[in-house]
Amino acid sequence: MLNIETLSFQYGRRRALTEITASSAAGNVVALVGRNGSGKSTLLRAIAGLTHPNAGNITWRGQRLERLAPLKRALEVAYVSQRPSLSIDLTVHELIALGRFASRSRLDSNLRIGQAIALMGLEALKDRSFHELSAGEQQRCVIARALAQHEENGLLALDEPFSNLDPGETMRVFDALKLCARAGALVVVAMHDLALVDRVAQTVWWLEQGRMVATGSPPDVLTPTKLQEIFHCEFDRGPQGLTLATRVSSITT
Amino acid sequence: MNKRQINGLFVLAALLAAGVIARLLIGRDPAIGSVNFSWPESNILVLRFGAVRSAIVGGACLGLSGLLLQALLRNPLASPFILGLSAGAGLAAMIAAWSASMVAAGAVGWIAFIAHGADGVIPGTVGSLAVLILVYALGRRGGRLDPLTLVLTGTVVATICGALTLLVQSLMPPSSRGDSWMWFMGQVPELPSSGAMWTAAVLLFCSFIASFRSGSALDAASIGDDEAESLGVSLRRLRILLFLCAGALASASVALCGPIAFVGFIAPHLSRLLLGSRHRALVPASVISGAAILIWADAVRQSIDVGAGRLPIGVLTALIGGPVFLMVMRSRQMRTGAWTC
Repeated sequence: MLNIETLSFQYGRRRALTEITASSAAGNVVALVGRNGSGKSTLLRAIAGLTHPNAGNITWRGQRLERLAPLKRALEVAYVSQRPSLSIDLTVHELIALGRFASRSRLDSNLRIGQAIALMGLEALKDRSFHELSAGEQQRCVIARALAQHEENGLLALDEPFSNLDPGETMRVFDALKLCARAGALVVVAMHDLALVDRVAQTVWWLEQGRMVATGSPPDVLTPTKLQEIFHCEFDRGPQGLTLATRVSSITT
Repeated sequence: MNKRQINGLFVLAALLAAGVIARLLIGRDPAIGSVNFSWPESNILVLRFGAVRSAIVGGACLGLSGLLLQALLRNPLASPFILGLSAGAGLAAMIAAWSASMVAAGAVGWIAFIAHGADGVIPGTVGSLAVLILVYALGRRGGRLDPLTLVLTGTVVATICGALTLLVQSLMPPSSRGDSWMWFMGQVPELPSSGAMWTAAVLLFCSFIASFRSGSALDAASIGDDEAESLGVSLRRLRILLFLCAGALASASVALCGPIAFVGFIAPHLSRLLLGSRHRALVPASVISGAAILIWADAVRQSIDVGAGRLPIGVLTALIGGPVFLMVMRSRQMRTGAWTC
């Protein structure tokens, strides 16, 4: 169970998160949505235990992740940032194997690395240099690294993991994340594609200017009226779920 | 280790062994100035063994220091010479030597005696770490470490340290200026000071163990701070430990051989070329390649007469290292910003 209680965080004088309260049980896919700069990445880093909040706290299975030793924390939570980078020349397999840094069992590690490579469809690329890959292939590699790292009932925190993926690969990644959730993991994903959120996430956390403005299931939170208010776009909700209709001009004369 | 890494280590070890043999055999007849290749007499052999020891320890320190700086700063252009660590160590060691000369004259008391500890390695370490902190702080642009900004900052700080070193040198008694000038040019001493040699050897051993044990963490640190932390790397602890090692190694090499350009830069790149990027393999490889490069540079310079004696080793390493530096700076990874962190 992930519990966030009156969490606040600021960068210097700028307040990034204000009194966020939310919770989710394991086995869920939680979509973190909101406009650019609304605090999604900051909240995700806090959930992954990478920042110390100024007030409030986050607990995962009763533990405060930011207080755990890094090696112990790595067994609880896997994190993928918005901008994957790699400053040395590693192959795809070597990069994914970094996901097992905190693991002590070599046998188990080999198995998990193989599974992650298969889930992300990277078998043919595993001996290629990471730097030679396209942006979408690199994105799949870093997601595979997180999949290799996370334990079955752990926490996966991913910041816009679909940003460079084509529709087929987007669905492959979502299938993999749903598989993790079914196996007992809690998956928290910051994302912008609301139609995708509607189809796959069980829970939506909506952030606006660092505040949690709505939480609940996608049909409850992502209503066409509310979306038009925020994004100045028309959305329709039909049998296929949420779809973008026409853009309302935000340019006033 | 995989096959490529084992083969690479063998190649580097063979290069080092060949360099040792070459350095022991290459000699110069002082009467006619010609180069000869023969087994020397025992008194000459002692001197050449001294130079071999100095080159191995000094080069290994530079190679490992360069690797650690490149890995921790995620900057392929980093090296103790380019970032000004060698210059900072040189300045601090020169101040210590000047203070010691004042002690001899009875002008300064026990503070200078402590400052001159371990033949300049202790003050040198303080100097190199002070420069590292300064360059790290000034080299950040918009909260990020830009490789070229870091290099420019290091170059400027190194120039200032070099000027201050010359200033302190001019304050020293005329009898000591000749020695310090040779040291300032970079040298591989045939009769190294035992204090500097032992201190450098111990620091090299300890730093090697610490770096080798941190090999996987250094690999993980290459993917960015947040993700490395999430993999279980304690970045703060890793950086403190290995920056200390890099600073101490730079200082040890300066105390032993003076500031020598580009060995600390080329050695990690040569190792990567042969073994790939995994740090578990790069740590021993950079140690061996640093030693091999310096010993070969010393062997080659024995055969180059510039009219006023043998070519200074710092000149030779700069002539080889400069173009390599430019090649790396213009490489694809640098252009695409893959190294910016």
